[in-house]
Amino acid sequence: MWRVTLRGLVAKKFRLALSSLSIALGVAFMAGTFVLTDTLGGVFDGLFTNTTQGVDAVVRSKLPYEPTGGQVSRDQLRPPVPESLVDVVRDVDGVARAEGSLLGYALVIGSDGEALQGQAPTFGLPWYPRSDTVNQSSEIVKGRAPRAPDEVAFDIRTFEDGGFRIGGPARVSFQTVPPREFRVVGAFLFGGSKDGPVGATLSAFTPTTAQEVMNRVGQWDLIEVRAADGVSQTELRDNLRAALRADGLAADYESITGQQLADEQADELKSNLSIFNTFLLVFALVALFVGAFVIYNTFSITVAQRIREIGLLRALGATGRQVNRAVVGEALVVGILSSVIGILLGIGLVPLLQGLLAGFGIDLPDGPLVIASRTIVVSFLVGTVVTVVSSLAPARRASRVAPITALRDQALDPAANRRRYLWGLAFWVVGAVILLVGLFGGASGGDSAMLIGAGAFFAFIGVAMLSPLLAGPAARMLTWPARRRGRVTARLASENAERNPRRTASTASALMIGLTLVSMVAVLAASLKGSFTETIRGQSTADFVLSPKGFFPFSPAAAERIQEELPDATVVEYRIGVIQIGNDTVNVLGASPDFTEITKIGLKPGARRDAFARGGLYVEAPEARARNLRVGDTVDVRFPDGPGQLTVQGIYAKELPPPFDPPFVLSLADWDRFPTAEDLSVSILKGPDTTTREARRVVERVAAEVGGIDADDLASFIDRQIAQFDQLLNLVYVLLMLAVVIALVGIVNTLALSVYERTREIGLLRAVGMTRRQLRRMVRGEALIVSAFGALLGLVIGVVFGFLIVQSVSSEGIEFALPVGQLVVFVVLAVLAGLVAGIPPARRAGRLDVLRAITSE
Amino acid sequence: MSVPSPSVATAAARAVDVTKVYGQGDTAVHALAGVSVDFRRGQYAAIMGPSGSGKSTLLHCLAGLDRVSGGQVFLGDDEISAMSEKELTLVRRDKIGFVFQAYNLVPTLTGLENIGLPLALAGRTPDPEWLDRILTTVNLADRVGHRPNELSGGQQQRVAVARALVSRPEVIFADEPTGNLDSRSGAEILGFMRDAVRELGQTIVMVTHDPVAASYADRVVFLADGKIVDELAGPTVDSVMDRMRRLGD
Repeated sequence: MWRVTLRGLVAKKFRLALSSLSIALGVAFMAGTFVLTDTLGGVFDGLFTNTTQGVDAVVRSKLPYEPTGGQVSRDQLRPPVPESLVDVVRDVDGVARAEGSLLGYALVIGSDGEALQGQAPTFGLPWYPRSDTVNQSSEIVKGRAPRAPDEVAFDIRTFEDGGFRIGGPARVSFQTVPPREFRVVGAFLFGGSKDGPVGATLSAFTPTTAQEVMNRVGQWDLIEVRAADGVSQTELRDNLRAALRADGLAADYESITGQQLADEQADELKSNLSIFNTFLLVFALVALFVGAFVIYNTFSITVAQRIREIGLLRALGATGRQVNRAVVGEALVVGILSSVIGILLGIGLVPLLQGLLAGFGIDLPDGPLVIASRTIVVSFLVGTVVTVVSSLAPARRASRVAPITALRDQALDPAANRRRYLWGLAFWVVGAVILLVGLFGGASGGDSAMLIGAGAFFAFIGVAMLSPLLAGPAARMLTWPARRRGRVTARLASENAERNPRRTASTASALMIGLTLVSMVAVLAASLKGSFTETIRGQSTADFVLSPKGFFPFSPAAAERIQEELPDATVVEYRIGVIQIGNDTVNVLGASPDFTEITKIGLKPGARRDAFARGGLYVEAPEARARNLRVGDTVDVRFPDGPGQLTVQGIYAKELPPPFDPPFVLSLADWDRFPTAEDLSVSILKGPDTTTREARRVVERVAAEVGGIDADDLASFIDRQIAQFDQLLNLVYVLLMLAVVIALVGIVNTLALSVYERTREIGLLRAVGMTRRQLRRMVRGEALIVSAFGALLGLVIGVVFGFLIVQSVSSEGIEFALPVGQLVVFVVLAVLAGLVAGIPPARRAGRLDVLRAITSE
Repeated sequence: MSVPSPSVATAAARAVDVTKVYGQGDTAVHALAGVSVDFRRGQYAAIMGPSGSGKSTLLHCLAGLDRVSGGQVFLGDDEISAMSEKELTLVRRDKIGFVFQAYNLVPTLTGLENIGLPLALAGRTPDPEWLDRILTTVNLADRVGHRPNELSGGQQQRVAVARALVSRPEVIFADEPTGNLDSRSGAEILGFMRDAVRELGQTIVMVTHDPVAASYADRVVFLADGKIVDELAGPTVDSVMDRMRRLGD
């Protein structure tokens, strides 16, 4: 039987190539994702090994508690250490050298006046002017190290990007002190490579200056230690720990080895990487799911076409099992082939993927490609298993072909029966139930996403099994206008689509999946955007808003300077922090005490605004209910620097839009308990004595001087936020395109197989006078029916999914919105793409030799 | 219908020194080795010959389904051997009717739709009176709403004949139209075809290997080894069998 299988495959190269392509694309995307994230992981590993070069151990404050979510990093929570601790550490056994270090906010203003702000952070650090300094991660490559308070050195990339020269001036903006002029004295290479700091800018100052400009007078972020000769990293660390214990400092401070620090830092970045990895893998899985439909379809059609041949084999004594194995064997070969192609394609795809992400503003550092064995094994297994599983149902059908079939004339797909529809209905119901549980069952984020995914998976299969019921009516409806005008090609196209409703439906289903996801995303995006705009408009009366140019918060100096220059304006700063209330670690929104003058949060009567100016919390109503808090209550909390108490000064009713959505607002009067103070956003309401023009001039000038800040009025702020959101959205659309492309490959494949199957009929049509143009139109018509059917089905399901998801988060103040124009565009594009997919099979049909077509047996 | 010019007044289809060669060089097969033959308007002609004699090839060349290697083929006044693929298609649609041995009908269309197919492809609708007359002639009026798979083999061939007649073609070409039928259904079809010639003034050229079928024709042309070797007017079953036997020798 193997010989029969292989010979059959080789004989149909076209079919083999197309069905392999549908799986290979999905596998390629998966392998590409793995390689990309592994490569990034490798880059980060190398980076942090380099950045801790020469550091054998560090001493630092203990993390007071773990931050929640991604908004606040560990470093933003860890309190500094006192300078005096350096002397303690220096005296510990096995310590050769100990130096205080820090990494703070320092935004470099380029020589053209523009801040050097990308999406990466902007760091300042101290530079010890000796060659035997502990941290050996940087080396001067131009000029010299900073030695005086007004001297600065930049990493070489910043030096070049900023257009600086040795001896020239440079302005740097800080958080707690005004921007300063420095003299550029040198440029250094960090971590051994030009891209060393992964896009971040680095400015090095003398240690004392670094402390002064980055809010660490008398303090350090951590102490870096070099071991004496013959002392290992672990010995050093153990000595340091023992010393901390002996001095009674072990409760507040800890020591880890340089290697541990490097691992820790790499891990933190890599955990973000794994989110990114999952994000991309989801699209790879969607692509594979669509590919599975194409495989299922191809095998169903070829089994139907070879039904007489199979009958003959059965008549000659092949068992049903042998037939089954022959079909599955064919799938196995296709699966292995497409997985291998896919993996190779995937590795080649990596630069493309990087380029794509860069095009959407996600710049990733380059490094040697890391091709882990996991990449190969997983991609190979997934590709092969998906292909084989997709062939199981057609194989089972083949094994049930009766020997007598060999003698029959007609070789059409067996008509779908009632049992199949019942199964489809069951799948659909199960999928819908899982989906609804996932949406409304109150499961946590990850579990709920899993449930929604699984529910959608089953629902898709259910719909695909039920959709043959709709294929006929859909075909008639879609061709109705053309048929009414007496187009016989339309009539024939419709009949062709109807004669194998299952084939039409499952080909369309592949496209349906892509369109479902696209329209669901469109609905969600429109709902989010609409609600975001409405919430901001409804809640904020700000004249101007400052927001960071990149992802990282900016210096509070901006707010301070604007307040100085516009004394009658209300200037409100917002920050995000993490505290512990009881045993819960919660995010809090830090806000200037008078923020309610700009942002309407529905503060309930009884709120104590005056007291809030001196400190305390406003609590969102549902949270207050859940914790049984009333105005005037005092709660025990932990700040990063230790325990404290906060008084509830008010309860508010309105939900704030993300990222301002923590259910607690902390008065900025209490912010001195946090190690860093960076503004996430600043709102400005001008005073009555200032004209809008004057105010705008001041705001824009200060924003430019401080740097790294976008200054907008409320309308353009909303536009800017939405534009950023749209960029991410477009990336999602592009990634979903892959699923659509695979579905189109499926359309090409199905139609090509159908054309091949109808060779004789096409010959007859041509003989009795159908022109090539009419024939092509007929085949394209069928493509149109399939794609329009799939697109419309996907549209309906996508809108329903989107609606349900919006309902499940309606408590967050998000309202359902239907982006009609956009959805119409998507469907039209999908149908056009389907028409294009119909061109190759149509041409193939047109090229058929009339005589051969009618005389071939 | 156009009035034929005097010079070819009687020829509906004409082959002039037609050759057809498959393959090249040593392996070349001469399916037609210089065939010249006229088929008169209003005549029911049969082409006979042993397997491999080239009778089907001749029919395909006459009907514009296949290209000749040499010589000329005329349909009425038009030289179809000089036409483009597109022109040929339109000639087949508008001026020629076909009846094949099997697979004559589009399975997704009803009998009536199959009958109207050539006209529909031309964007026309059948003349109702003419259609009625054809349906009566082939005795199908009550079955034409069904799809081919609901019709018997004989009924399917009758639909095919009706389709060939509906556009009032200049010639109907039939390729073993009764080859797949039992003798009773076969006789019926042959009778209808003869009636079409007698009563409706059609011209039919039919390839067959069956002397009974040939006996319905007005004239039989015998082919062997790609050449016309004999001809018989007013054939009977016996006279045809007699000629065939002699050809076989």
